[in-house]
Amino acid sequence: MRWGMVINLKKCTRCHACIAACRIEHFLPMGMNWPRLIAWETDVPGEELTTIPVRCNQCKDAPCVEVCPAEATKKREDGIVYVDNDICVGCRYCIIACPYQNRTFLSRDKDPGYFPGYERTRFEKAGRKIYPHVVGTTEKCDFCMERIDAGLAKGLVPGKDREATPACVNTCQSRALTFGDLDDPESEVSKLIKEQNAFQLHPEYGTDPAVYYIDGKIGNAPSNIAPREEQTASHIQHLSTMEERAKQIFGKK
Amino acid sequence: MAEKKIIKTTCKSCHGGCGVLVEVTDGVITHIEGNPESATRGTMCAKGLSSIQHIDNPYRITHPYKRTGEKGEGKWKQISWDEALDTIAAKIKEASEKYGPWTVATSQGTGRGYNRYVHRFSRSMGSANVISPGYICHSPRIGLYGLITGYGRLYCDYHGWGGVFPKTQISWAKQLEISSADSEMAYWYTKSLDYCKNLIIVDPRATAFTSRATLWLQIRPGTDAALALGMINIIIQEGLWDKEFVENWTYGFEELKNRAAEYPVDKVSEITWIPKEKIIQAARLFAQDTPGVIQIGSSLERQANCGQTIRAIINLLGITGNIERPGSMISWVLPETGLIEDVFNEIPLTDEMRSHIYGGDKFKMGAARTCNPDTIIRELNKGEKPIRVWISVGGQQIVHLASTQQVVEGLKNLDFLVQVDQFWGPMAEMADIVLPSAHWLELDDIYDMHPRFMIEAHNKCVEPPGEAMSDAWIFNEIGRRVVPEYWFKDVETLLDHELRKAPITWKKFSERTVSGCFGPDQKYYKYKTDYWRKGGGFPTPTGKMELYSTVLENLGYDPLPFFKEPGESPYSTPELAKEYPLVLTTGFRSPFYFLAQYRNIPWLRTFMEYPTMQINPKTAKELGIEDGDFVWLESPRGKIIQKARLFPGIDPRVVAATANWFYPEAPAQGYRGVFISNPNILTNANYQDPMYGSPDLTCLICKVYKCKPEELKDPKYSDIFIKEHGGKPWAW
Repeated sequence: MRWGMVINLKKCTRCHACIAACRIEHFLPMGMNWPRLIAWETDVPGEELTTIPVRCNQCKDAPCVEVCPAEATKKREDGIVYVDNDICVGCRYCIIACPYQNRTFLSRDKDPGYFPGYERTRFEKAGRKIYPHVVGTTEKCDFCMERIDAGLAKGLVPGKDREATPACVNTCQSRALTFGDLDDPESEVSKLIKEQNAFQLHPEYGTDPAVYYIDGKIGNAPSNIAPREEQTASHIQHLSTMEERAKQIFGKK
Repeated sequence: MAEKKIIKTTCKSCHGGCGVLVEVTDGVITHIEGNPESATRGTMCAKGLSSIQHIDNPYRITHPYKRTGEKGEGKWKQISWDEALDTIAAKIKEASEKYGPWTVATSQGTGRGYNRYVHRFSRSMGSANVISPGYICHSPRIGLYGLITGYGRLYCDYHGWGGVFPKTQISWAKQLEISSADSEMAYWYTKSLDYCKNLIIVDPRATAFTSRATLWLQIRPGTDAALALGMINIIIQEGLWDKEFVENWTYGFEELKNRAAEYPVDKVSEITWIPKEKIIQAARLFAQDTPGVIQIGSSLERQANCGQTIRAIINLLGITGNIERPGSMISWVLPETGLIEDVFNEIPLTDEMRSHIYGGDKFKMGAARTCNPDTIIRELNKGEKPIRVWISVGGQQIVHLASTQQVVEGLKNLDFLVQVDQFWGPMAEMADIVLPSAHWLELDDIYDMHPRFMIEAHNKCVEPPGEAMSDAWIFNEIGRRVVPEYWFKDVETLLDHELRKAPITWKKFSERTVSGCFGPDQKYYKYKTDYWRKGGGFPTPTGKMELYSTVLENLGYDPLPFFKEPGESPYSTPELAKEYPLVLTTGFRSPFYFLAQYRNIPWLRTFMEYPTMQINPKTAKELGIEDGDFVWLESPRGKIIQKARLFPGIDPRVVAATANWFYPEAPAQGYRGVFISNPNILTNANYQDPMYGSPDLTCLICKVYKCKPEELKDPKYSDIFIKEHGGKPWAW
């Protein structure tokens, strides 16, 4: 089992919701970002604007794990690379070693609070208890491993069930992010990688990232016929006020 | 053991209405995420998620205040709710008795939740002078759909409920993918793109989807009517129109054909700066690959030719038969709760109220049930007092109306101004009394989405700060003091009244959170049934979709759409353009802000700290401007500072400025920095749409030059641009 993500560049709208969701999920201090968006703009016709969402690639051969003198950066069996902030000594070797620049050091002045000069908000205070951040250590995306672990314990499937899926994937309005098991050939991510010429960023670094990218054009859909679940609005039909009608539809099924 | 509960509610950080789950632990919000069992399937944007920073935000208004110093001096005294409400009621009664009820105006921001109370409040007092931003956002669209098809609200059918998704989509001056504007939701739109054959984007700038769309028509701002008429002409010349629909269900096709013939593609290409082949291709795709939809963006409604532009676009939908078919434009059937707007419709406008609508004689479409704000500002500047008492809720007229300086001077002339708001902004600093209002996480109310196939519940998750109260409560309390016969004993009774048609009580609805009409409950092809008219047809005077509008003809307007140059452009004012050589557009959406809102939300402000203006690198090089430089944008009215963003996705002859910008962190003096970066310093209301009164806000001309470093040190704004680390609010 190896958790991975496929990011569809044609769908990313540069809306930044993934970043906001991450800030809520992990009570990130101001100035700390786990995922980022790289704005790519050119004057080549047809390639004017692209947004590349990046986050820790959870590399198979992760240089950050190798260089850590304190063994604070660890790799789990399921491929997730994470930092044990209680062990991290803040030497920042990993920040230099990460070829993708996806690690951030939490320095003291990185956390001025939401409103510098004012009292911390109750959300901030609660966050310090629920999800403490250790000043003077390195942080990065860990694919919301707490969500994955808690979800798996309940028998849920990461990438399919929200409770077991990273927060950024859940919130994305254009569904540009897909999560799942790279080792399972039947998973959504594996299919996307196989069918849509997925690529990793800078494969020449030789780290084998678990984050893949796909791209393409919008349009040219083979058919505009709506699948039955869309026609019946099945996921919201229980909210419909026409209860009799809802019964009829569900009755037919 | 911590007490943890999950509350289901609805976001109104924009027009949206996304379902939300709020986790409250011991009275503190500890998590927000989308509700997977809602119509937006658990997705949420950055604005909605950042709502958590409204709670405990030190910039919130927490108590009623009375001004003690001069306007804009920032001197306030805290007063009790009773004193505030009694004073307001007395002022309203006094003005109403002495000068007539129409001298009391009620204004609103973009209509989200409170517009029905604004109208009810105004009408209950006997005034139809509602000051609404509708005339520059959404009203022209619904009004003109109403005129042409008889029913006022047509929206894109991209749910698949009729069996198919749109095959061809035109996103016209709209970035629905980042805005969920007008309750056409980003989630539904982006999902429908999976089933779309052609995506055509009409926008002066590259957007997230332009590089990946089938076609991008990079249009000169303000020339959209020419493009629409040019496409109509191509479709007719090539015989591609929907013959069955046009013959049986439209009126005035021949006249439209002749009018469109005045817009041959060469001429249109010259006007719009779009290559001719692209216009032809767009017309063919839209006519041949049906069904199709056109999302109309509100930038088009901030132009002095807005009425004709939108009419031309609706006619383009008409001749291609994209009305009321599955996967085209459709008017939605209401849920069992009926029309929530009836809470103000039940107090009809009297002839007397109508006759005192300011601007009503001139702008016959826009000023039918609201007044024309620019007319009032003009009168106030002349020293007249058309309005004595102005009750403003949520909106920042100083920011969004044309010509900021004049709005500020005009408002100083009022006898009495009340601002109901969550944060200290320019309007609050101008007010005599300021009332604190609650955020959507802090109130119970009903959310009525624009397309109207569902209503949703806002459920209170936490207590508002200090003494803040919901808008519904505030209106009800003032209403009870002025015209008690129209108001209710409390908010719950008011909400019960709004839901009475279902019938359902607020308590029950609050648990259910949604009342909707989805999927196969919706009706297509209403004109082929007795739905609007016995024997079929549209609810218009001719019973047809009026490509040639008999209503407009009777009102004295051109019954057919036409193109008119913007008031100021390289072609309409060539002399002026020598000094101001760049076309300026100000309408683009930002994913972080909703119009004038959210500059005081740190998470969002980190995404865009300063207002940015986009300029082509080629133009920037000529002007010696580098990425990140602060630059001046200047028009004959004044100049503003924005941060330059070198952007290849914009025409070298055009620049785009971020609209609606003030600095909440700036001092009260100077009205919270409204004169520093707000593009409406550059606009004016000299050119107005004859139907709606909309001024040219998104198409004018300007010059751009670099800001000298010493200019930024001016004490007027050195706090904003040159910051000491640590002390200032946005200094991270």
